[in-house]
Amino acid sequence: MYLYNEFDQTLIDKRVEQFRDQTQRFLRGDLTQEQFRPLRLMNGLYIQTHAPMLRVNIPYGLLSSKQLRMLAHIAHKYDKDYGHFTTRQNIQFNWPALESVPDILADLARVQMHAIQSSGNCIRNITCDPLAGVCADEVEDPRPYCEIIRQWSTLHPEFSYLPRKFKIAVSGSPKDRAAVQVHDIGLHMRKNSQGDIGFEVLVGGGLGRTPVIGQTIAEFIAEADILAYLEAILRTYNRLGRRDNKYKSRIKILVRATGLEKFKEQVETEWASIRYGDLVLKQDDIQRVKDRFVSLNYERCDDSQPTQPTSDSGLFRRWFKQNTKDHKQHGYRIVFLSLKAPGCPPGDVTGKQMNLIADLAEQYSFGQIRTTHDQNLAFTDVKSVDLYALWQQLDKAKLATVNIGTITDMICCPGLDFCSLANASSIDIADGITQRFKDDAVDIGDVSLKMSGCMNGCGHHSIGEIGILGVDKKGEQWYQLTLGGSDSGQSKLGDRLGKAIAKDAVIDAIDDIIQVYKTNRAGRESFSGTLNRIGLAPFKEKVYAAD
Amino acid sequence: MPLIKGNKIVADAWHVHADESVPKQDYCIIDLACWQENKASLISQKLTFGLTLEGDADMTNVTDDLQHFALIAINFPSFVDGRGYSLAKNLRQKYGYTQDIRAVGDILPDQALYLTRVGFSSLFLANEKNALLALEKLAEHNVFYQPQTV
Repeated sequence: MYLYNEFDQTLIDKRVEQFRDQTQRFLRGDLTQEQFRPLRLMNGLYIQTHAPMLRVNIPYGLLSSKQLRMLAHIAHKYDKDYGHFTTRQNIQFNWPALESVPDILADLARVQMHAIQSSGNCIRNITCDPLAGVCADEVEDPRPYCEIIRQWSTLHPEFSYLPRKFKIAVSGSPKDRAAVQVHDIGLHMRKNSQGDIGFEVLVGGGLGRTPVIGQTIAEFIAEADILAYLEAILRTYNRLGRRDNKYKSRIKILVRATGLEKFKEQVETEWASIRYGDLVLKQDDIQRVKDRFVSLNYERCDDSQPTQPTSDSGLFRRWFKQNTKDHKQHGYRIVFLSLKAPGCPPGDVTGKQMNLIADLAEQYSFGQIRTTHDQNLAFTDVKSVDLYALWQQLDKAKLATVNIGTITDMICCPGLDFCSLANASSIDIADGITQRFKDDAVDIGDVSLKMSGCMNGCGHHSIGEIGILGVDKKGEQWYQLTLGGSDSGQSKLGDRLGKAIAKDAVIDAIDDIIQVYKTNRAGRESFSGTLNRIGLAPFKEKVYAAD
Repeated sequence: MPLIKGNKIVADAWHVHADESVPKQDYCIIDLACWQENKASLISQKLTFGLTLEGDADMTNVTDDLQHFALIAINFPSFVDGRGYSLAKNLRQKYGYTQDIRAVGDILPDQALYLTRVGFSSLFLANEKNALLALEKLAEHNVFYQPQTV
């Protein structure tokens, strides 16, 4: 957990006052809709179908109990007592009144939080591996570097009016749990042969209308040089990115049109002019940021298994197996809190649940909570011996649905119910899938299902093993299915299964797909494994059999 | 239209030279086409003149000429078009331009501070009200993570 210094605090306090002034000028009529729009977006405020939507940053997915309690307070006081966690580790409030947003931002600032650049055509929240610091396969904890990049990109005077939004993700492990390949810039931490820390830099990835897997622009940029290198990429993009068509304005389009080699040349020319300037990161600078992260004092534990209870033991064991994971520290485990309980929209948490989670985190996991890219939460540092007691409380609060990684643990955007861009609803489809598969999700095995209500792709459908995309056909809601996408290891875009499917047939189609998988899988073969081996045809045949 | 320089409103000695002819007096701001057309005669006249650049200006043919311009005006066709910020930064950092860089076109008072952070030394605001608000914004106590461009 990074703790603000006085400078960090002053900066966000000033920003609150600035936004209060802008909001008042807008309400007085001194700023037009058009002028206020980018200013409010830069503070996370959208105008949606029913009401404004405020997106609050959770830098690299790390929250303290105190911060989560404040989010609960905001949900209760200014909204309808719930919040929605997003795929970029942030939280959204769907019903705040415009007039109250400056007060919400002031409340957030009291717990070192803000909504700066959570939307708009600027550098967005820096995301990272939700298991940073606790997974055994890590080259280096990416969070201090995320914080350094967060600071560099915050209120960046040069990059606040980019051609389009700009997303950066950092992974500290060879295994990609941060979807870095589908970000405008993806950073993979590396160690070179001398043991120096640096980054492999990927550029031009992204989802949305034109999904693209990012390409490596530099194999190794030393930690000292990373900010200058990022600045060189951003400057090249800001100068040359298209501004005539918002669907062609992301950096992926520029990289594709320019060609990676030529783009790299342009970036390196920029870099050469600033490489040894103000942005060089000295060891002291890095250490200063690292020192502001609270370190966790793990106890020495014998690696005892959780106490075996007599009753509920079956359910507890199933939860233990599916929703907890190995920790690099002996005697501790990582616990995922499923936000995909039947009957709840994926990623939604009530104010009451938030307060309980904050309490449990304090009791069992150093008062820290992580938000994950899959719209769940995690307690990353729970003693094995405490697991049963924790499970009982999570279970009571509907936070222990045994489905992490399974088909009912789906990623889903808010869809037509809230979003003014959407063509089709996603929440009711998600609920239908949960109802259909809730009893055998674990037996089916790990399947990533991702759903977006329109081609802007906020639900990451292109990289789901099963992807569902809502489309509008003459005013009716239809759904396009894709199979075989991936966001772990080597990212891959899914292939289109066939023509779009009517809303009332979607759940049956997903069921058909799962039946084909179950019938054809060899042993414990994964969904993608079976799909790669037997191809798309058997799935197509089954789903479109009636045609 | 009011001009802000050095955190106050000042009189503007410059005027835009709109046609393609060779300017005959000091303090004319010409565009890139005019410069490229009349480069030799402009240099021989030893006048003080400035250059207007659009945000997407191709700098490759101008970088060696920068010492001839006492002012470079960067035009913002729309306040959401951020190319001018990077162009100003390049002029200061990459090409070492030390004279006046002026922001003209569609700029909001809320942008005054960011413009001055990336190297603009003067700002041309649309009206008095905006200029006064911009001065207020410039005078506020502010903190930045990024270094000031000088």
